[in-house]
Amino acid sequence: MSEIVLGIGDYGAAKHPGGLVKTFALGSCVAAILLDPRTNAVGMVHVALPDSSINEAKARQRPGYFADLGLPLLMQEMAKLGSPANGRGLVVKLVGGASIMDHNETFNIGKRNVLAIKKYLWAYGLGPLAEDVGGNHSRTVSVAVDTGKVIVSCPGRGQWEL
Amino acid sequence: MTKVVNSEAVRQAIEKLPLFSSSALQLLQVIAEPDHELEDVVNIVKYDSALTMRVLKAVNSPVYGLANEITSIDRALSYIGERSVVSIAVQENTGQLFSKPLEGYQGEAGDLWRHDLFSAIASREVARYAKGDFDLDLAFTGGLLHDIGKSIFAAFWKEFSQEALSQIDQGEVNDYLMAEQDLAGLDHTEVGYEMACHWQLPESLKAVILHHHHPAEAIECLQPLVYAVHLGDVVSMMAGCSTGSDGLQYQLDPGYSEYFDLTPANLAEMVLNTEEEFTKAEASLVS
Repeated sequence: MSEIVLGIGDYGAAKHPGGLVKTFALGSCVAAILLDPRTNAVGMVHVALPDSSINEAKARQRPGYFADLGLPLLMQEMAKLGSPANGRGLVVKLVGGASIMDHNETFNIGKRNVLAIKKYLWAYGLGPLAEDVGGNHSRTVSVAVDTGKVIVSCPGRGQWEL
Repeated sequence: MTKVVNSEAVRQAIEKLPLFSSSALQLLQVIAEPDHELEDVVNIVKYDSALTMRVLKAVNSPVYGLANEITSIDRALSYIGERSVVSIAVQENTGQLFSKPLEGYQGEAGDLWRHDLFSAIASREVARYAKGDFDLDLAFTGGLLHDIGKSIFAAFWKEFSQEALSQIDQGEVNDYLMAEQDLAGLDHTEVGYEMACHWQLPESLKAVILHHHHPAEAIECLQPLVYAVHLGDVVSMMAGCSTGSDGLQYQLDPGYSEYFDLTPANLAEMVLNTEEEFTKAEASLVS
């Protein structure tokens, strides 16, 4: 089984049989997952921050780090594998966006990441079919290419399907 | 609830720990002095051949991409900074403590080192936003050592950790630290403090280790430092760099705003800078 492991700010898509797309320890980061039921393609981006305008140089170096740049790039990756460029028919799932306990607004990067991603998706008429976001625990997520099954796990809390 | 962790067994485990080398201890003491100079650090490192060798190896690693090899400790230190030397000295003197799996926290081998290194860099970044003068490298050192207690406590905590998560989920305790206290009768900050006493670390670092989850309990003059590490720890967990099942299961103390000017925008910048420096530091410190 070939596995694509995405680090923070990475994005990628796959549709080879037996493949797995995975990212570890999301914390306040969010994994936006795109699934194409027609082609069986799976895409994922590991977003760390909502808005690239805070640092243009880093936005150029690592666009996937930011929700506003990472999502369009992921859509392009999916289009390369045969999905519609406008995202029509794609299934979206979101995982991550956690926060520390008793956080204040300044420290709620997770919530801002989720909102930034949803804002982008809404512009395409898309919305998450399922999400496991917020809370106070860090998540790892993997997606099986063949089945589109999304498995979320967390140390001490086991794993579950989204 | 019966207190089931044998504190005497914990104390014996701490007493068995090797002491820090005199140069490492001197280094930590010098770093804790607010008016120290880089030359003071050079004068300690150059008399420790093993430390000198590790520092030169780090500065000449591919991560820094130097065109010409650096062979003098003076140049190496001015290039990589005293915080890198502290990281190397701490790594050398703590043996396997940072690298072993944290059984009680379900943390994997190396997770504690990665969390503490990330926290160290984040604490230093936080300190840049201090309202008053701040020793950035002391914040780094505090961040590097803040969770050292977990290295000993984890083995004793193993049988209670699952119960801790249920206590938190059911709202029986406020956070993971309270669960440790409730179930074990002691927590990782207290164990870390005892380790710091055993190693004769400076008072400022002892305070960081003991109070990093409740910085308002530190003596007033050390609160800015302890708050910096408190926030560095939070940023590290938010970035997914946790020690296992306790990740993000702690309270944020809003009292930090008395000492630091933080906004969502500069927090985002801080996350970005920390992650970038962490990647570099982790690669250069691989032995």
